[in-house]
Parts: sequence; structure tokens; C-alpha cells
Amino acid sequence: MFSYLIDIFLIGVVAALINNFVLYYFVGICPFVGVSRKISTAFGMGCAVIFVISIAALISWTITTFVLMPGAPLTRWVAAHFMTPEAAAGVDLTILSYIVYIFAIASSVQFVEMYVRKFFPPLYKALGVYLPLITTNCAILFACLIIMSKIVGVDNPADAWDLGRGLTLAVGGGIGFTIAIVIMAGIREELDLCDVPKPFQGAAITLIVAGILAMGFMGFTGVDSGLRKAMMPAPAVAAQAQTAPAADGTGANQ
Amino acid sequence: MNWVTISLSAATLFGMAVVISYILGWASKAFYVKVDPRIEAIIEALPGANCGGCGFVGCADYAEGVVLSGAAVNRCPVGGAACAASVAAIMGIEVDESYPQRPIVHCGAHYEDRKGRTPYFGEMTCQAANMVAGVQACTYGCLGFGDCTRACKYDAIHVIDGLATVDYDKCIGCGACGSVCPRNIITITPFKKSRILAVGCSNKDAGREVMAVCEVGCIGCKACAKKSELFKIEDNLPTIDYEHWDAECTLDVMEACEKCPRNRLIFVGEPSPADIAATKDKPLPEVVEADFKTTVDDTEWRG
Repeated sequence: MFSYLIDIFLIGVVAALINNFVLYYFVGICPFVGVSRKISTAFGMGCAVIFVISIAALISWTITTFVLMPGAPLTRWVAAHFMTPEAAAGVDLTILSYIVYIFAIASSVQFVEMYVRKFFPPLYKALGVYLPLITTNCAILFACLIIMSKIVGVDNPADAWDLGRGLTLAVGGGIGFTIAIVIMAGIREELDLCDVPKPFQGAAITLIVAGILAMGFMGFTGVDSGLRKAMMPAPAVAAQAQTAPAADGTGANQ
Repeated sequence: MNWVTISLSAATLFGMAVVISYILGWASKAFYVKVDPRIEAIIEALPGANCGGCGFVGCADYAEGVVLSGAAVNRCPVGGAACAASVAAIMGIEVDESYPQRPIVHCGAHYEDRKGRTPYFGEMTCQAANMVAGVQACTYGCLGFGDCTRACKYDAIHVIDGLATVDYDKCIGCGACGSVCPRNIITITPFKKSRILAVGCSNKDAGREVMAVCEVGCIGCKACAKKSELFKIEDNLPTIDYEHWDAECTLDVMEACEKCPRNRLIFVGEPSPADIAATKDKPLPEVVEADFKTTVDDTEWRG
């Protein structure tokens, strides 16, 4: 149980900071460049992404587990009842992943838009055009695909991600996107007052800044293994204390 | 890939399509929001420039404002009278007479007319230069760094010889230039005629101080006010009463223009036929570029 909580925490931290969707994988660049002009709209966009990415992760985890993955229960049941038992053994619909995820994302965005419009009109107004824009945000699809790779490709079925891990990855990724886009918006608000050389104006300087920002986020590399070591229960600490040089005392307090 | 996979894929997609379309169909009824059909009709009728010239965020916001909060139907500067008429038809009301809104630059000092300019090495924007004391001696006049030029989406305002100059052929009256000018010398004025009289100065100081800083600035001598009642002097500057402007007083006004020792009563707007005839043989410049003679140093500062 404890190690599961550590796992969840680390998945969240890794998705938000270390393997930040925007600054590590460079997905979701178009809203990152397009909507990062003002901090307020950037924050709204970030919140919308967190919201949609969680719903998309929920749906894609469910569909992958029950329909798409090799030997998925629902597909198997259909094959066994309407086809031959031999057919049921070999079901694998992972080729459908992209189309199914896009289908699910687009329709959930549509649904969320209608829901927000009815019950939260101010929020709907604030999000405006960004909510439908998220439909084509590759960061969302990317999160779905990561979750799929953690369910389908694993050797040991016990290592396959459960819904909690998938949702944590999605929420962490959404928070990471929000952090990145808000930082970027802050920089660009300052950048408006700067005398940027003509060839670099506009999108060019924005992408350069994004690159520098990405290098800054490289500084988080390795934080996850450090955290894991720090949080592991006693035996791991004891084992580490033996290997660490005792004299300087830096390793002992981890 | 065998027939099992193919049929299962087809069944999966079909099943998803059925489930999702059912949910979305239910949601679109359950979460239906009533929108006034007039709002959509007005959005259709508006030009869709989203310039913000009406004072609303965009065309959709203005349409909402017209229907819900009774905003005037003739506020769209891009669409003009035709657009106002169609919006009024949708709303079922009479349209008031409307005038095109155009900017007037209340400064007439070109580069050589300004006294007491000092070298300025900061950001090449009016916004920044305005924060620095002593860039130029006149604290009211045009700084000439072209914030208005950059704000204009329609290429209608340029800094010519250090002074912002409006190209009234291209201007649509969105008011972007007026809102960025840090010295507020650009006002958006309803043009009752294609050419209207304006006061080309913003300096509120007394005559002696104006003379010390500008070759052409208004010295508040009240010569115009003596000639015509349309002019009132406030804060050492004449104001023009456009409401009572008519053909009868034109003679007085022309006399006042001639009397003005600094020639600060200027006609702005589209050029008169006489002006066009006078310049029709002159070649047009290909590009009118902002001219940063406003610093002594020729090298542009790059930070």
C-alpha cells in the first residue's frame, strides 16, 4: 500500500516536472505558443487541459483495459459468444488505439463544453475558444498513448497500470502543462516590453525561450530516483547508508 | 489481420459511435441553452473584424450587448451606416444618424519644429520614452516612436518626420492608436464631414513656455475665439464646438484660421479636391517609413 502511494506520487511528479509534456516531449506546442500571451488566459487554458486530460485518461484507460488490449474481457466475451472460441483467444484491437482515443477525446470535449455552457456560463465565457481547441491538443492524445503503453506492452500483467496511476499521470501532465504555459506567459508579458531584434520577433523568440525553458526543466532530471530513495522504507535506507561514505554524513540523512 | 479482427474493430467503432452519439444527443437536449436568435442574426450582419472599435471585446460581444443591454446599433466603425441599418432592421428600431469615428492627432510639430530634444537611448517606444523626463521639452506633444503605427492593424497611421500622421483612406476608426498613445494626443472624433477642423496642439502651458519648447505650438492668444464663437479657450487651448458648426459660420472660421499666428487650426481628414489636384503630378513614395530622427545618435539601440 505504501509503495503504491509512493508510486502514485512519483508518477505525478515525473509527469508534472521531470518529463513535462511540453518541455520534455514537446507535445502540445500549438496552445503553448498560441495561448501564452497573457497569464490569465494561459491559466484558463491550463485548467481546461487538466480537466479534459483527466476525462480523456479515464475514458482511454477504460476502453484500453476492457476493449482494446490483447485478451480484453469485453472483446473476448463478444468473440466467444458471436464467433468461435478460438477467435476469442487471439483478440487484439490495439491497432484501433489512435482512432478510438481521438473519438473519445473529441466527444468528451463536446460533452464538457455543453455541460459547462449550461451550468457554468462565466467559465464557458472565460474558456471561450480554448475548450474546443483542446480537442486537437496532442498532449491529451499523448497522455492516452502513454497510458496505453503502460497497460499493453508490459511483460508482467501485475505491472499493468491501474486507473489510479493513469489518472495521476493525466492530472500531473495537465499540471505540468499549466506550469509551463503560465511561466511562458509570464516571460512573454515581459518580452512585449523588450526590444527584440527583428528576425527573432514573434514566434521565433517564443520558441527560443521555450527551448531555454526546456533546458531549465532538464535540471529536474534525476529528482525522481532521489525522491524514490528518500521515501523508500527502512531497508533501502540501511542499504544506502552502507554504500555511502560515512564520514561526510551527506548520505545518511536521506 | 484476419476477419475476426476486422469484424471486431468494426463492431467496436460502431458500438462507440452508438453510445457516444446517444450520450451527446441526450446532452445537447438536457444542457440546451436558449440563445436569442437575434444575437446570431446580428453576428452574421456584423463585418467580423473583431477590432474592438465599438467598445466591446469583439463582434459577438457587441451583438450580445445590442440585444441584451440595449447598446446603440450604430457603434460598429468598420461596417458604417450600411451595417447599422441592417442591425437596426434585425432589432426592429430606427437607426440614429451616425458619423464615422476617426482619430485626430492633436500635435502639429514635426521633427524640426521641436525644441529641446535630448539624446534618448532607451527602448524605442513612446511608452518607455514617456517615462523618461527630458526626452523632449514639450511634455504634451508627439514623441514620434510610433506606438500608434504598431498598434494599427490597418496600416493607417505612420510617423512622418517625427509626427504621427493618419492615412484617412485606410483608417476604419477602431481607436487602437488612441488607446496606446501614452500622451493621449490622439482623440477619436465623429467626422461630420470628410474634412474637419481640428486643433493641432495639446500643450496646455502658457504662451511663453510653449514658445520656448515648440516652433508651432498653440500659445493660447485667443485670436480664434475673438473671430468665431465656435472656439472656446480652456487651459490655454482652443476647443471647437462641433455641435453648432454649420455653413453660416464657415467664413468666421476661415478668418480665424488665417488669424492664428501659429497656424494651429488645421483641417484633417480626406484631402479636398483642390489638394488632390495640386499634388496629382507628384510621384507617390513607395514606402513611407517611420523616421527615427528623434535621437541624436543614428545607431539604433539594441539591448
